[in-house]
Amino acid sequence: MTCTDCLESLGPFVDGELATDEAAVVEEHLKMCADCAAAHRRILATSSQLKAALVRYQAPDVLKARIKASLTDATRGEPGRGELRPLVRAKAWPRMVAAAATVAIVSSALTFAAMRQSGSRDSAEQQVLASHIRSLMPGHLTDVASNDQHNVKPWFNGRVDMSPDVPRLDSIGFPLVGGRIDYINGRSVPVIVYTRRQHVINVFSWPESAAPDQPSVVRSNHGYNLIRLAHSGDELWIVSDLNRAELETFAKLLIAAH
Amino acid sequence: MAEQNATRFEQLVLPHLDDAFTLAQYLLRNQHDAQDAVQESVLRALRYFDGFRGDDARAWLLTIVRNYCYTWKKGHFTDRSTVSINGDDTLEITDAHGADDLAIQASESERVRAAVDALPADLREVIVLRELSELSYREISEVVGVPIGTVMSRLSRARNRLADALEPLSKRAG
Repeated sequence: MTCTDCLESLGPFVDGELATDEAAVVEEHLKMCADCAAAHRRILATSSQLKAALVRYQAPDVLKARIKASLTDATRGEPGRGELRPLVRAKAWPRMVAAAATVAIVSSALTFAAMRQSGSRDSAEQQVLASHIRSLMPGHLTDVASNDQHNVKPWFNGRVDMSPDVPRLDSIGFPLVGGRIDYINGRSVPVIVYTRRQHVINVFSWPESAAPDQPSVVRSNHGYNLIRLAHSGDELWIVSDLNRAELETFAKLLIAAH
Repeated sequence: MAEQNATRFEQLVLPHLDDAFTLAQYLLRNQHDAQDAVQESVLRALRYFDGFRGDDARAWLLTIVRNYCYTWKKGHFTDRSTVSINGDDTLEITDAHGADDLAIQASESERVRAAVDALPADLREVIVLRELSELSYREISEVVGVPIGTVMSRLSRARNRLADALEPLSKRAG
């Protein structure tokens, strides 16, 4: 074997791409030729340096949740991202809204009394924050994964005693990824999950009967931003590690879309 | 799509999201763009899944990711190195001298990363596919769409360049 042949084979040799007999010839040559042996060491060194120093990324949970959500929509044949929806669904939809609204109204009335606990706000903040942090752990983000509000909203029927608003905000940069149920202040509450780039935004809501509409209050806690507001008889908490300005924008868009 | 087809898709394709995300990260050098690229690619893969006859779902997914990244870059021709809104984007190294200067102060992994980022995309991708995802030459040839001989010569050139870029300092240190 000539040195030229050997040098050309070094890459495949290092990568285990040579047949056994070819590899044996290279090995023989390396024993005898100091120059080729040095070139071999150089490739090995570079290769191991790369393997040790370069990051092999892991797909973030947010990405996995987004993919799961869009797969759910796609495999159900319900385009979730601005494509045309089949007419059948369009007809079914108003009935569902009516049903959901009825549930919401009746349940708000029923839970009127239960919600007047004093001091519940501070504890709500703690619980909402804990729920947010827990949701970021693998596998906890969504019970129903979908980009499509028509999958997410009806999912709550019969599971919680209200029907949360699930506006679609993906066209303005806050794609919906799904929803889940959490337990806050002694009741099951719906949580709607949006994302902004790699940030997760959890929107909690429950009926807060007598409260008039209130402007949003922003708090910062453990590096998370929490926005609390009252709207149309519901108390809403919006929690994320997203920066304050963008989260406030989100809150405005969310309320405007309600 | 039939339920079992969807399940088969998830079993075959979803295990390779890390490899897909890694390739997209090194090609686009921005994690938000990389996330979008992977999500879009998975949806494309789903659309074409009926036509997938091969046995190597990973290479197939990576092919789609790679094509998506190249198309995306063509469509976003503007120089992204000046547009870092969050400051968390990966540094863009546009010339080897910049990479050298940076390398001197940077830690080992930053130094290696900078050298890899300084490679042209056709060399960078074979390095990532080989050293990080450990694809065979045949698989790389499938993903990149070039003959195995070309994969071999690109890998060789890439490693030479990286060895040159990384050597001076290790010699000094030794």
